Amino acid sequence: MEIKIQNVSMTYPNGKCALKELNLDLKSPSLIGLLGPNGAGKSTLMKLLVAALMPTSGAIYVEGRPLSKMERVLKGQLGYLPQDFGLFDELTVTQFLDYMAALKGLRSPGSAVSEAISQVNLEDKAKARIRTLSGGQRQRVGIAQALLGNPSFLIFDEPTVGLDPEERIHFRNLFSRTAQERLVLLSTHIIEDVQSVCDQIVVIHSGVILFSGTPAGLIESAQGHVGVFWEQEAAWEDGLHITARVNTSQGIRCRAVADQLPSFVQPEEPTLEDAYLYLISREVAQ
Amino acid sequence: MIKIFRYECKRLLWNKFFFGIGLVLLFYGWQVLSNATILGISHTAPFSPWSFGDYLCRMMPLLWIGALFFLTFFTSAKAKRMAVLTDATPALPGHYALARCSAAMTATALLTFACLAEAAVFYGWYFKWYHWGTLLLTAAAVLVPPLVFALGSGWILGRCRPWLIYVWMLLPMGVQAVSLPSMLGVWNGSFFTEYPKTLGMMDPAFTMPPAAIAAQLLLLAAGIVLLGFRCFGTERQPV
Amino acid sequence: MKGIRLFRLELGRLLRSPLTWGMVLLTVVSPLAGLLLYKPASASTMLTMYLANPSISGGAAGGIFFGILTVFELNRVSRSRAELLLDAAVSPLTMALMRMFSLMSAALVTLGVTMAVWLPISRSLIGSVFGILDYALAYVLFMGLALPLGILSAASAYQITRRVDLSLALFAAFAGLSLTVWADRWQLCWLNPCVWALSDDFSNFRIFRSAAYMRLTWLGALASLWILSWMCIRQYGKGILGSLARSVRHIFRPIIALLLLVCSVTAYAAQPLVDHSNPDQTVFTFLELEYLEGVICSGRTAQIFPDTSAGTVDGKASYQFQNASGQIQTVAFGINPGYTVSAVWVNGAEAAFEVGDYQEFNEAMLEVEIPAEEAVELTVEYGGFPKESRNSSSMQGHVEISEEYLCLENATLAPRLMNVLPDEGMYPAVIEVTLPNSMTVIPFGTGEAAAVKELEDGTVTWRYEDNGTGGILYAGDYIREDIEAGGIAVELYYGRKHQKVMEEVGGAEAVKEVVNYCTEHYGVLSFGTGKALKLIQSRVAGGGYATDGASLLDEADFTAANLGDGSKGAASGEVMIHELVHQWWGLGNMFDSSDENNPWSAEGLTVYTTYRIVKELYGEEYAREHYIEQWQQAVDDYYLNFYVRNPEYLDELPSDQQLEISNSLSYVRKYCEMPLKILKAEELAGGEEAMDQILYELFNRELDPTYPYLTYEDFLEACGLKEEDLNLD
Repeated sequence: MEIKIQNVSMTYPNGKCALKELNLDLKSPSLIGLLGPNGAGKSTLMKLLVAALMPTSGAIYVEGRPLSKMERVLKGQLGYLPQDFGLFDELTVTQFLDYMAALKGLRSPGSAVSEAISQVNLEDKAKARIRTLSGGQRQRVGIAQALLGNPSFLIFDEPTVGLDPEERIHFRNLFSRTAQERLVLLSTHIIEDVQSVCDQIVVIHSGVILFSGTPAGLIESAQGHVGVFWEQEAAWEDGLHITARVNTSQGIRCRAVADQLPSFVQPEEPTLEDAYLYLISREVAQ
Repeated sequence: MIKIFRYECKRLLWNKFFFGIGLVLLFYGWQVLSNATILGISHTAPFSPWSFGDYLCRMMPLLWIGALFFLTFFTSAKAKRMAVLTDATPALPGHYALARCSAAMTATALLTFACLAEAAVFYGWYFKWYHWGTLLLTAAAVLVPPLVFALGSGWILGRCRPWLIYVWMLLPMGVQAVSLPSMLGVWNGSFFTEYPKTLGMMDPAFTMPPAAIAAQLLLLAAGIVLLGFRCFGTERQPV
Repeated sequence: MKGIRLFRLELGRLLRSPLTWGMVLLTVVSPLAGLLLYKPASASTMLTMYLANPSISGGAAGGIFFGILTVFELNRVSRSRAELLLDAAVSPLTMALMRMFSLMSAALVTLGVTMAVWLPISRSLIGSVFGILDYALAYVLFMGLALPLGILSAASAYQITRRVDLSLALFAAFAGLSLTVWADRWQLCWLNPCVWALSDDFSNFRIFRSAAYMRLTWLGALASLWILSWMCIRQYGKGILGSLARSVRHIFRPIIALLLLVCSVTAYAAQPLVDHSNPDQTVFTFLELEYLEGVICSGRTAQIFPDTSAGTVDGKASYQFQNASGQIQTVAFGINPGYTVSAVWVNGAEAAFEVGDYQEFNEAMLEVEIPAEEAVELTVEYGGFPKESRNSSSMQGHVEISEEYLCLENATLAPRLMNVLPDEGMYPAVIEVTLPNSMTVIPFGTGEAAAVKELEDGTVTWRYEDNGTGGILYAGDYIREDIEAGGIAVELYYGRKHQKVMEEVGGAEAVKEVVNYCTEHYGVLSFGTGKALKLIQSRVAGGGYATDGASLLDEADFTAANLGDGSKGAASGEVMIHELVHQWWGLGNMFDSSDENNPWSAEGLTVYTTYRIVKELYGEEYAREHYIEQWQQAVDDYYLNFYVRNPEYLDELPSDQQLEISNSLSYVRKYCEMPLKILKAEELAGGEEAMDQILYELFNRELDPTYPYLTYEDFLEACGLKEEDLNLD
């Protein structure tokens, strides 16, 4: 599966510009982490990829052909978990997945449904009505419907919201395994998830791609821009963005990013989170 | 899509609303039958097609409301949140809409059948009258066009703005309150009280003047066109 | 304090919603429908057309709009998925209570705005008979109270089902029943009170009481249902029963709900406004009671004290009997079923009595044993709130008792003697009635009332003499106008508020024309005493009656609206004409009334004569359209009616439905078929002049004292026709 996004812009009818001249290549097998603050345009990009929206300019190519002509082909290979979605509360988990399997046109829906249920650890709730499920369990039903039929292109928008740490790790591993032979696009705010499993990262801010590359590349770009200091020894300086503030017995220890680290800041090895925050803070400052 | 149809039927029929409105319809219907229909309409028997047609016209506002409520299962805000999942599947929107539309029609037909069955029980109970087959034409002429139109128009309105469906529910009540031209008399029941008297015979068989037939056919055609537009028209939503 | 703050918060939020304003606006506009589309009250008085109908339609529409608003408002939190947030801050029960109060407040504001908007419009439409009290009561009772009922019922449906669709369907059916099949059942039509008329010239407290009673009954029932549904509000993640089980732990909640329900059911079952008269109006068991052997009534007196503010009556009636039978006898009286008999004395000693449960034509039977003594004085003390007949429960308002108007008829005036013959053909009676000094007392008949005592409390005691077992009494703020016509002194009584309209319409002239017509065509009336005829304007009644020396004039005959109807010519008042004609056809011994089902009755000739007078006054076309064509239509309908053609099906129905159907058909033969036959007789006998001559001779015929009645055979013989000659095609 290969998807090419060329000069795609998207402006909503209310005049809000969500994406500007976006260019991106997505190729399987790959697990791509999509990062960006709220309102950056991540969900819009995903909606464009699932043909729920049409770009106001530019084009998206699937296997070299325009998406408009490949819509059914794409959807036939697509598993999509949106950030905000509804379920048929009156159906059981199995019935709902069977419903979705029918819509996806799966040949052997029974086994696909069973497989999806076991992938998300919902065997004990298979016969339960969806209205009786907890928030995390509903999220798992959403993931299960995306995984139905082993699609070759998976899009997950905040998939681990509402899951406990154990479940999060389980799904991280699941996504990682899935991405061994498929294209997975994972949008999340949890940097740890991205760092653990993604081989590529795309950072979007205000509809523009700020970075596209490997996690190591992003970390590299923040070398020399991350440091720590004791708050009581510091003087205020413009351009210093505090990313953590820890109360200790010796005082308050701060972690910060900046283009130019002041003298009272002791440089540190950046993490992926530091690098992401440095990138965004630099963009905001500009 | 047969599976989708089955699941949609399950959603529409296996819930509090369906049983609730079913009971409401039966209660209301019995009140109408035992207070109004029993007197006979236009000098005809209570079990004549004319009295039966009048009964159906009186039931129409509730059936109309019921049909539109079934559509809210597909057009509500909750349903729209579900649509982000279904829209991402390769199912043809037209086929999907057709399956759902068929489910809504089935549910409406079941409600209608409950009304018809109640009338049949009433006629058997009070008059030992069992020639139900003679009433089918009346039932088809009175019920099918407006209910198909309700589903077609309601679906389009619900897609535009979900709250419009609720406003649309008031339409039959408005129609009952105003005097309509005779060709549209089936819509508010005046046809059944007025037209048989103009036929100049006792207990006339059920007939409709060409203008009234045309009005019903137009209504049916409009309903079918709107449903067709829904099932086979463009689907892409702007947001 | 927290409650008040929450209420203000919720009310503020409600009033910021565009849906609320939309519903308020629609409700304020909805009385317009009563002027154009929905006119449940059928009388032609100004207050009916321009006050009752707009306020009832405003109530019906407003109740529906507020019901819909309630469902959507209660669903708002769930729709915006803020339930958890809100429930964490405030108990869902408290919030539901606040929402209810704010919806009620919005309804109150809406009523106030509606009344303010429609006040000048109603005033200008109604004209000189507008009254602010009628206006306020009509809007509060007919419209205002429909809004809380709509809110309570819709909220109950939502709180129990928690589904918008099901709640709206339930509410639609509940409203639909009230507007259609329950529309004529005064206790059931919760949305659109059963009001057929409001009087322009007299007060309307009786019908207002009826509407208020119905509203309060439903308010109790729906408030009880609402509390039940309120206790079902889901909490602590429990289902409907679990939540209910938790809520009822506060024992006062179910107790209040139960109390309200008990009050409402009791109010429904034991309503004080309408009796339980036999719905079969062909049964006359009270009329068919056998007279006691050897007992006669030599006279009676009654002292009546109506309470014009409470609408009740207290009275004491005494009867003098001569019991020559030498045995104990049981005397039977008919008494208004609303009255309670507090005591009965026989010859000064308190006696046992029994009031039966069976009721017929607005009477219950009071039975008292009288001793085997020659002279017996029997006194009955009675009183209470008079009930109206259930057979006309959809046309309440008849027994109006107020400072403006009072009408007490027969057993409502005093116990009506049923099974004792009079002394020498007469039941001499002396009636005394004590009323506020603003009221004029008018006995319906030949008697004349005179004020005999003025009391310190501003009341006056009037006395008049009468004959008969019953008697009818009118009293009110009347104006009297004396007219000479046809050799009779006509006393025309009409309400003071009506004076302007009466002068404009030329009411006195119309009366004169009718009396002159009848005198010229049929002969001079001869009354038992003197030559005076009272013509009394009654409160709008939809019909009338006449007796020796008195006829009714329905106020609806002479309204400003009728005045403006050019098709009715210079004079109007067809019910008045009908009742006046009864002075010629229908009183005393003119017709044998023992068989109530006989189509040959006073009505046939009276309706025919009314048609003739109308034809002369308003022209042939008007008379044909409004009389002959309508008779023909009614007769056609009658003979075409399925149950008339197939009586075997009628027999199959339950007795209640049989009665309903047969009652609806019975009047046609007297009021429509017989006039058509007389019209046919007129054609066969040689035209109008020939018929006038025949009727003149019949009116002035020699009476056979053993059977003085004018029979159908007499009529046919006078016309030279056989019964089959008058068969209609």
